[in-house]
Amino acid sequence: MARDPKYDILFEPIQLGPKTMKNRFYQIPHCNGFGSEKPLSQAYFRALKAEGGYGACCTEYCSISPESDDTHRVSARLWDDDDIKNLSVMCDMLHEHGALAAAELWYGGPHAPCMESRCVPRGPSQIPSDFEYLTYPKEMDKDDIRQVQQLYVDAAKRAREAGFDIVYVYGSHSYLPQQFLTPYYNKRTDEYGGSFENRARFWRETIEQVREAVGDDTAIAVRMSTDMFMGDSGTQLERDCLPFVELVDDIVDVWDINVSGISEWGEDATPSRFYPSGRMLPWQEAVKKVSKKPVLGVGRFTSPDLMIEAINGGKLDIIATCRPSISDPWLPRKIDEGRLDDIRECIGCNICISRWEIGGPPLICTQNATAGEEYRRGWHPEKFDPAENADNDVLVVGAGPAGMECAMILGKRGMRRVHLVDANDDMGGIMRWIPQLPGLGEWARLVNYRKIQIDKLRNVEFVPGTTLDADGVREYGAEIVVIATGAYWATDGLNGCTHDTIPGADAAQPWCLTPEQIMRDGKEVPGNSVVIVDNDGYFMGVSLAEKLASEGKKVTLMTPLGNIAPYMHFTLEAPNQHRKLHKLGVDIVTYHIPSRIEQGSVTATHVYDEEAHEQKWDADAVVLVTQRRSDEALYRELKDRIGFDALGEEGISGCYRIGDCEAPRLIADCVFSGHRLAREIDSENPEVPKPFIRERRVIERELAVV
Amino acid sequence: MKIVVCVKQVAVLGDEVEFTGDEREVDPDYLDFALNEWDSYATEEALRIREEVGGEGDEVVVVSVGDAQVEDAMRRCLAMGADRAIRVDYSRSADPITVARLLAPVAQRESPDLVFCGVQSSDGVQAATGTALAELLGLPCVAVVTRIEWEPSASRATVRRELEGGLLDLTEVDTPALLTIQTGINQPRYATLRAIKQAEQKQIEVVSPAEQGEPAYRVRRMFAPPKGEGAQILAGGPADIAQRIREIVAERLK
Repeated sequence: MARDPKYDILFEPIQLGPKTMKNRFYQIPHCNGFGSEKPLSQAYFRALKAEGGYGACCTEYCSISPESDDTHRVSARLWDDDDIKNLSVMCDMLHEHGALAAAELWYGGPHAPCMESRCVPRGPSQIPSDFEYLTYPKEMDKDDIRQVQQLYVDAAKRAREAGFDIVYVYGSHSYLPQQFLTPYYNKRTDEYGGSFENRARFWRETIEQVREAVGDDTAIAVRMSTDMFMGDSGTQLERDCLPFVELVDDIVDVWDINVSGISEWGEDATPSRFYPSGRMLPWQEAVKKVSKKPVLGVGRFTSPDLMIEAINGGKLDIIATCRPSISDPWLPRKIDEGRLDDIRECIGCNICISRWEIGGPPLICTQNATAGEEYRRGWHPEKFDPAENADNDVLVVGAGPAGMECAMILGKRGMRRVHLVDANDDMGGIMRWIPQLPGLGEWARLVNYRKIQIDKLRNVEFVPGTTLDADGVREYGAEIVVIATGAYWATDGLNGCTHDTIPGADAAQPWCLTPEQIMRDGKEVPGNSVVIVDNDGYFMGVSLAEKLASEGKKVTLMTPLGNIAPYMHFTLEAPNQHRKLHKLGVDIVTYHIPSRIEQGSVTATHVYDEEAHEQKWDADAVVLVTQRRSDEALYRELKDRIGFDALGEEGISGCYRIGDCEAPRLIADCVFSGHRLAREIDSENPEVPKPFIRERRVIERELAVV
Repeated sequence: MKIVVCVKQVAVLGDEVEFTGDEREVDPDYLDFALNEWDSYATEEALRIREEVGGEGDEVVVVSVGDAQVEDAMRRCLAMGADRAIRVDYSRSADPITVARLLAPVAQRESPDLVFCGVQSSDGVQAATGTALAELLGLPCVAVVTRIEWEPSASRATVRRELEGGLLDLTEVDTPALLTIQTGINQPRYATLRAIKQAEQKQIEVVSPAEQGEPAYRVRRMFAPPKGEGAQILAGGPADIAQRIREIVAERLK
C-alpha cells in the first residue's frame, strides 16, 4: 500500500544547520540501560529505529565528565577515547540507514550522585538535589565555570569524532545549564545570577563555545524546559525561555522543547493515565513563534493525523518521539507504507521509564517485547524466521497478554495452524477489564493491536467461548500446547508481608472483594466505608481507591509498605496519582498490615510495632489487593494427572506455560513471556530461555594473574 | 433423515481493492476467502437437528459450487461435523440462478428431508439462491428462519421467521422443505484441530455441472463509486468540534 498524500509533509527533508535530516521523524534522547558500556546493544537498539524510517536518532543523556556520573542510573558517556570508539558503532549504523546521529551532552550538577566516579559535581549554588538524596554540589566559582564549559567543548569534539551529526547543550530536566537559568537552583549574586541576562550567561557562553568548537559541520541542538510548573522560582516561558530563544537563536540549529523539571518529569514523559498526546504543543508553538530555527518536541505522538496537525498548524517542525519509537521502531515506515493498522501504539504506561528510574536494568516495553533485545537476543520486531517445526499445530489456551502475543508470533513464524482458545467471547484476558480502571483506557491498545494482527494471520484462529479441561486439551489435536490461563487475586489475604493469609479475609463473603470481582464480575461493593488492603505496590490498589472514591465511597488505602504504589514513582505516575487521591479524600495508611478482618471492620498493626499500634478501621467492605496466584489448575492436570509422557503418546510433543499462569508478573513481562516462547518454539528445550549475549568484558586468563 | 446444506466460499475484501483489467471482477490478489457466515449458521443448525433428533445413519450433507479452491470452506463444514460433502465442479463466476441450477440436480439426487441455505452470501448479498433452488426443486420455502421445530417422523415443521421492523412470523411448512437460515439462530461451533485434521482426510465427491442455461445477468463493469463532495473536516478539541457541529446542525435546520 502507498502512503496517504496528506502525510507527505512528514517525509519532507529539513535543514538543521549544516546537516540535512531526510524527514520529520526524530527519536528524542531517551535511556535504554545500555549507555556507552554496552555499545552493541546501544547501536542495534537505535539502528532499528533508523531502519524503521527515523531521520535522526539520539543517544540518551550523554555525560561529558566523570563528575557528571549518574550511577546507579545508566547514561551514555563521552569521557574518553574509548567512549568515542564505543559510541561510534551507533553512529555508523545510523548512517548506514541514512539517519543522523545525535548526542545529548549532559552535565547533571547536583542531580548526579557520582556513585561510580566518586567525583564531586558542581552546581550554580550549594543546595542539594531535589531528585537525589544526599547529593550536594560544589558551588562554582569563575574557574569552575570555565572548567565545566571546557568539559562541554571537549565532549563535543569527542562526539564529532565519534561521528555524531548533532550535539546538544542539554538543559531540560533541571540539568546544569537550565539550573543556571532557574532561580530555584541559581541563588548567585555575581554576573551568573540574578537578572535574566546573568542567569542566561552560562548557557549562552557554553553554546557559543561548543558552536565555536564543532559548529561548522555539526548541528547544535538545545533542549530546554519551558515551564517547570513551580511558579516564580521555576523556569517560566515568558520570563525566561522566550527571551533565551531570542538571545541565542542565531547560534542554535534546532530547538528541542519540553516542560517540567526533574523531580516531576512525568509532566514531560506524561503517563496516558493523566495526559493525551500532544500535551506540550502550546509551549512548543510559543517557541516556534519566536524562533527562526526548526523546533522539535515530544508529545507521545502515535497518530500520523496528530503529527501533521502539529506541523501544519505551525506548532512543530519535527515530530520527536520517545515512547512511541520504543513501542514501534518502525512507526515512520508504517506511515510511509500506508500500514496504519500495523502500528504498535504506545500505551503510555511508562514501564520503559521505570527501568531507568530503578537504575540499571535495560528498558522493557509492554507493547514491544523485542525492545532492548535487538542485539542480545537478535530479535527484530518486524521480522520472523519460519519455525523449524512449522508443520506443527499449536493450541494456546488463554487469550490474555501472554497468550495473544504467543499466538501472534507463532502465526508470524508460519506454524501450520494456531488455535487461540479462550473461555470469554473476546480476547484480552485481564486486559478486558484493566483498561476500565480510571485513566487506563489507552492500555486497551495492547489488545487492539494483537486482535488486528491475529485477524490478518490466516494460520491463527481465535476460538471464543470455549473452556477446555485437561482431556479437552489432550483430545484437541495439537502437537504443541501452550497454557496461558493467567492468575487471580488471592481471596484469603495471602500476602508477601506476613507470608500468610489474613484472619477473617474471605472473598466469598459479600463484604469482602478482590479486584476482578469488582471489575470483571460486577460484584457490588456494599456500604459506604471501604478499606483497600494493598500489598501489591503498583497500579491496582490506587486505581480501585480512585474508582471507589469517585463513586462516593469513603476509602482507606492501607499498605504495609512505606508508600502507596511505590512502583508508580518509577513510572512517574505517583505525583499526580497522590494529588488525585488526596483531592478525593482517600485516607492513606502506610506501614500497616491487617491482623484481623471481620464484617464491619479491619484491625491492623504497625509493621514495626505490632503490639502498641493496633487500631481498628470501620469497613463496610474490604478489598483485598494482597497478592496474585497463578491459575495453573489446567497445567497441573496436564502435567501431574495425565503426564507429559502420556501426552506425548497422543502426539503432543510439548506442553508449556507462559505469563501469569507460571508466576504473576508485569503485563510487559507477560507479553515478553509469550513472545519468548514463540521465538524459541523450535529450540532444543523451549521451556528454558536460550542464553542471550551478555555484553561484557571477558578477560584473557593469563593477564588476570598478576 | 438427511439434511442438505448448500454452502458458499465467499470472497472477503481487504482495505484496498483493485479490479481486473476488463473491469468485470475484483483482482483476486486483493481477496481473502472464507465460509459464508450465514452458511456456518445453516451448517450448525443442521448438525444440531441431527444430534438432537437424528439417529443412526442420519446425515448432514454439504453441497457447494466452485473449483477445488472452495473445498477449504467445505472442509470447515466437515470439521464442524458434516458427514459428507459434494462439490459441483464449476470454475466460472456464476449468478444466483445459475448456482441454483447447478445445485438442483445434486439436491434432487440426495432426496433430503430438509434443504438449508444461508439467507444470503456476504459477498453477493442477493439472497436469491435459496428461493431459486426451492423453485427448481418444487419445494415449499421459508426465508429468514430464526427457529426450527421439527421431528423426522413428522411431515411438517414449525418455523419462526424474521420480518421487517422486528416482527416475527410463526409458520408451519410441509416437509421436505427448503429453509434459508438467518445468522443468530444458534452459535456455530468451532472445530478442534483434530476435527480439522480429520476433515482434511475426508473425500469430497466431485460431480460435473449440469446444463446451466442462460445466465440471469452479466456483469458489465465494476468500479469504486466516485468520491462525493461536501464533507467538512472539523479541527480542534472536542469542545470546539461539538460547538461547531451544533452550529452546523442549527444552520441546516433553519
